[in-house]
Amino acid sequence: MANIAAQRIRREIKEVMKNEETAGASIKLELIDNRWTELKGEIGGPPDTPYQGGTFILEIKVPETYPFNPPKIRFLTKIWHPNVSSVTGAICLDILKDQWAAALTLRTVLLSIQALLAAAEPNDPQDAVVAKQYREDPHMFEMTAIHWTNVYAGGPTPVFEFNQKVRVLTEIGVNEQVARVALSTYHWDIERATEEIFSIYP
Amino acid sequence: MSAESDMEYSDNDGDDYDYYGEQDDCDMETVDRSKSDPEFFLYSCLKVEEVEKLLNESIELLSNSLQITPSLAKVMLHAYGWNAQEIINKYRENANEVLVYSRVKPRLPVGQANSSRTNCAVCANTPLLHKYSALACGHYFCNDCWAMHFEVQIMQGVSNTIQCMAQDCEVRAPEDFVLSHVTKPTLRERYQQFMFKDHVKSHPQLRFCPGPNCQWIFQAWTREGARRVECRGCELLTCFSCGAPHHAPTDCATIRRWLTKCADDSETANYISAHTKDCPKCQICIEKNGGCNHMQCGACRHDFCWVCSGDWKTHGSEYYECSRYKEDPNLANDSQHAQAREALKKYLHYYERWENHARSLKLEEQTLASLKSRINQKVMAGEGTWIDWQYLWDAARLLKRCRYTLQYTYPYAYYMEVGPRKELFEYQQAQLEAEIENLSWKVERAETTDRGDLENQMDIAEKRRTTLLKDFLEFNTNNASSSTKV
Ligand SMILES: [Zn+2]
Ligand SMILES: [Zn+2]
Ligand SMILES: [Zn+2]
Ligand SMILES: [Zn+2]
Ligand SMILES: [Zn+2]
Ligand SMILES: [Zn+2]
Repeated sequence: MANIAAQRIRREIKEVMKNEETAGASIKLELIDNRWTELKGEIGGPPDTPYQGGTFILEIKVPETYPFNPPKIRFLTKIWHPNVSSVTGAICLDILKDQWAAALTLRTVLLSIQALLAAAEPNDPQDAVVAKQYREDPHMFEMTAIHWTNVYAGGPTPVFEFNQKVRVLTEIGVNEQVARVALSTYHWDIERATEEIFSIYP
Repeated sequence: MSAESDMEYSDNDGDDYDYYGEQDDCDMETVDRSKSDPEFFLYSCLKVEEVEKLLNESIELLSNSLQITPSLAKVMLHAYGWNAQEIINKYRENANEVLVYSRVKPRLPVGQANSSRTNCAVCANTPLLHKYSALACGHYFCNDCWAMHFEVQIMQGVSNTIQCMAQDCEVRAPEDFVLSHVTKPTLRERYQQFMFKDHVKSHPQLRFCPGPNCQWIFQAWTREGARRVECRGCELLTCFSCGAPHHAPTDCATIRRWLTKCADDSETANYISAHTKDCPKCQICIEKNGGCNHMQCGACRHDFCWVCSGDWKTHGSEYYECSRYKEDPNLANDSQHAQAREALKKYLHYYERWENHARSLKLEEQTLASLKSRINQKVMAGEGTWIDWQYLWDAARLLKRCRYTLQYTYPYAYYMEVGPRKELFEYQQAQLEAEIENLSWKVERAETTDRGDLENQMDIAEKRRTTLLKDFLEFNTNNASSSTKV
């Protein structure tokens, strides 16, 4: 079976390259080494979303039983999105689970993930905190997502207020990532975030 | 079955003490029993071959009436919960709808672009020499890929619900299509085993015995309320409706809530599960080794209650305070913190008693085993026959059954709303508990207890048990309809 997997991956990389040239879709796929078991994926943030202008790297692990079993994919680039874990990068997407079909390709999967960035499914969340904010405070969600895109994915729009709040916490010795997660979780309320950080990390 | 157990149940003259642990009549029983036994439930215990026969009858009926292959009939029966008559009626009305609902055919016709026979989308090959095949949806893939797809699915335990390999196609592969691609004998066998398991699980009248490695299958005709079925093989008591251990008088939803709660709270409740306790009078450590909650300290002869450590003398009266938990009326005024503490206290009250009776049951299991060997010794030594000692055995069995019901009264009481009905329930529960402890005390000292006294105690305990069940088991309104055969 490993034979088919290697054969498929080879063809799929070609397919993505060919389509990228013609359609200019912001999707990339490359081998990590000469084996076909691990790949690096890359998707561009869709236009008119908080992710616009960002580049998101994905880890793709190909099982030996591929394509009869789905690839395992997670975000390596940190992202603020209801269907992606803000901590581990795990993705909640049906075609990566029970809706996988052997005829699906990595190109389709990457396009689906890109589509997920444009249209979240807050009712099937991977990250409950983000999903709650998405539903209850869409503006705050959008600003936070733009901020994360700017900091982690090279997005063009810095959110000065948020940067400053993160700096306040890092200056008193809090780890930057810890500060950002706490602030994002507590709607950028610096007092609550501080309280939370020092109750967990006394 | 051993010759010994045949002896134990040689005469079954009208009494119905023996159904907890009984091996001989899982089959249809007389209707009389439904009157005397509030838990009466019509069911059978079937072997795998018997169930296969039963399933095959439905498959044959359907395939003959609709002139379809048995393989297709299986897909439909699985989709329609094995209601062959419903399928036949619907099929005659609108065959296409039945085929779509069963996922034999796609909802929408598949376009031409998806049905290439010269290029396999899965293996990325264009093997001209390869053979292609497709399900009713017309998605063609090479036979090598189908074979590998089925192998992966079967190894993952999927059988009836293996789908087409095309994107967004929900059409399922029927048995004959799968088997035409799978050649390895072990894999074919595995597939058919999973298929059978899946069929039993999808059949509303069937349920596997949940006993470890147990092969028996129950058949019954309703899935409402707590329904006791007993396995012929492993003697486990199961609720037919939900598959949990039998739990009357508690209903299925409540027992699920309770067991989840117990699992969640196991840490907090752990400290009470110790097997030893200090004597409240002389502080000597006593190990509980029988099921009885009436403890007697070996050192100072003090009689006390295992559950509350109180003096046993105060437990003798009709009102058995120990099983009652009094809700604190001042609770509403208290702070949130105190309320949480009260809630935990309430839970622990019920949990302790639930756990304690579960442990007692296990210990009584041992009592039962040692009693059996004691009786055998007596019979060997010429001290009477099994029939002479049968009453002892019956008493131990009855004790086990009463304690079982008592254990399951605690989750019931825990979720009951405070009010007169709960008071009545806990009053009856307390009475049952008191009589069970009396019985347990007497059974443990059976050889020195007067037979008449013991039999009287058995009668009292069982009456308390059936009274409680009759008053609080809630499905008893239509036993007649549940015994209609389908
Ligand atoms: Zn193929
Ligand atoms: Zn199909
Ligand atoms: Zn069994
Ligand atoms: Zn049940
Ligand atoms: Zn003592
Ligand atoms: Zn007590």
